[in-house]
Amino acid sequence: MRISDSLILDRPEQNFFADPALDRAFGVVMALATEVYVQRDRVRALERKLEAAGIIDRADMDREPSEDERQANAEDREAFVEGLMINLLGKQQAKGAS
Amino acid sequence: MDDRSFVAAQDFLLSSKTFWTKQIYEDLKRTYEDAVARSGKTPTTPADVAAILEGDTLYRYFAWLERHLQRLKYAGRYGLVPYHDERRSVLAPPLRDTGAELSPTLEMPSYYRRVDIHQHPGGVMSDELDGYVYERGARSTTPLMGASHADLHHRFTDLVAAQDAERVLYGRILDMGCGFGKSTQPFHEAYPDARIDAIDLSGPCLALAAHQAPSRSSPKVRFRQMNACATDYEPDSFDLVTSTMLVHELPPGEIEKLFAEAARILAPGGRMVHLDFHAIDGPFARFMHYGHGLRNNEPFMQPWAEMDIHASLSDKGFTNIKVIPFQEAEGVDLENHAAWRFPWTVIQAELKTGG
Ligand SMILES: C[S@@+](CC[C@H](N)C(=O)[O-])C[C@H]1O[C@@H](n2cnc3c(N)ncnc32)[C@H](O)[C@@H]1O
Repeated sequence: MRISDSLILDRPEQNFFADPALDRAFGVVMALATEVYVQRDRVRALERKLEAAGIIDRADMDREPSEDERQANAEDREAFVEGLMINLLGKQQAKGAS
Repeated sequence: MDDRSFVAAQDFLLSSKTFWTKQIYEDLKRTYEDAVARSGKTPTTPADVAAILEGDTLYRYFAWLERHLQRLKYAGRYGLVPYHDERRSVLAPPLRDTGAELSPTLEMPSYYRRVDIHQHPGGVMSDELDGYVYERGARSTTPLMGASHADLHHRFTDLVAAQDAERVLYGRILDMGCGFGKSTQPFHEAYPDARIDAIDLSGPCLALAAHQAPSRSSPKVRFRQMNACATDYEPDSFDLVTSTMLVHELPPGEIEKLFAEAARILAPGGRMVHLDFHAIDGPFARFMHYGHGLRNNEPFMQPWAEMDIHASLSDKGFTNIKVIPFQEAEGVDLENHAAWRFPWTVIQAELKTGG
C-alpha cells in the first residue's frame, strides 16, 4: 500500500499556524526527522555488528577525526552545505520571469 | 519496510510524544499561568483559556504535534497501518477461525463509520488487521506510563473487586467495548469462575482477542460482536456490567442508550462500572482535554465530559452513583500532575432492587 491510499479527499486537514504553509512544512520536517532517526539507528546497528565481527573498533570511530580526514571531507561537506543553503538566496538558476 | 526501521521510527515518534507530554506541556502551562497572572483575571471556561492560548506559538506547535505525531504513528511511511498491511499474508489467516462469535451483517452505527477513531485510517472495523493495528498502537498511547500501561486495567479491576472481597457478587460479567480483550483478561483473572461475555462492534478486534488473549481457551469467556447499546441479552443476565475507554467514544444519545441497556440486562442490585475520562479539574485541563478529543478524532469527548451523569443514571433506575477520579498509575498526583495526562475517572452505580 502507498501512503497516498489513505488520503481523504473531501476533508481538509486541521491547521494550527497562522499560515497553513507552516503546518505543511513542519510535516515535511517531522517526516525527514523520522527518516534521519531510522538511518541513525541502522548505522549504529551496523557499527555494533562490525565491531562484534572484529572489523571496526567503535571507540576508534568515535574519536575526533585526524586533520587529514577532515580535509579529505572538506570538498564533500562544502558541496553539501552549498546545495542546502543556496535555496535561501532566492535567486533564479535559469533565467525567466521574476 | 523492515522491522528494525519500523521500530526505530515508532520509537522516535514515541520519544517525541514524551517530550511533548512533559517539556512542551509544562512550558505551555507556565506560559498560560504567566499570562493569567499578568491579566489579573481568572479564566473560568475553556473559551477563556482559548482566548489566552490560541495565538501562542508554543501552543500552535503543541496542537500540531498532538495531531500529527498520531497521524505519522498510524499512517506515515513507517506507520502502523502500512507495517501490518505488508505482513498480511502471515497475520491474517490465524484470525479467520478463532471462535469469536462474529456477526458480519451487524449494522455499524453512523458515529462509528463517520469518524476514523484515534486517526486510525478506516477506524477499527474496516480491515481484518485492524485489531493488530489497534493493539500495537495502544501500547504507546500514554508515553509516560510505559510498561505500566498494562497495569491500568489491573488497577481498575482491583478497584472493582475490592468492593467484593469475597468474590461472590459477580458470577456473570459483561465487558462492553472489550477491544482486543485487554480489559477482559484482568476480570477473568480476578473472577476465574465467572462467566464473562466480552462484546464489541469491531470484528477484527474480537478476532484478535479470541486469537491471542490468555483467556481464549477458557469456556467461561466469550467474545461476541454486538452493539453495546442494543444487545441480545435477556433482562437479569449480568451481575456486573463494565467497560474501559468506551463511553467517551459515543455521542450523547448513544450513551443514554448504553446506560439504559445496562439497566435492562443487569440483575436487580447489579453493578455498573465504567473507566473513562470525565472528572476534569479546571478550565485549563478542560481546554486541553476537549482539544485532545478534536485533534485525536474523538469528537464526543466534550459532550460526554459535560453530561449530567447523576441525572441520567438515576433516571434509569440506578442508585449509589459515584464519579471518582482514578489514579492510573502509582505515584500520579491527581490534584497537581505536572505532565499531560488523561482525566481518568471511574463511574459506578447500582441498579435499584425491586421497584
Ligand atoms: C478505546 S477502545 C477500548 C477497548 C478495551 N476496553 C481496552 O480497554 O483496551 C473502545 C472500544 O469500544 C468499541 N465500541 C465503540 N462503540 C461501541 C458500541 N456501541 N458497542 C460495542 N463496542 C463499541 C470500539 O470498537 C473499541 O474496540
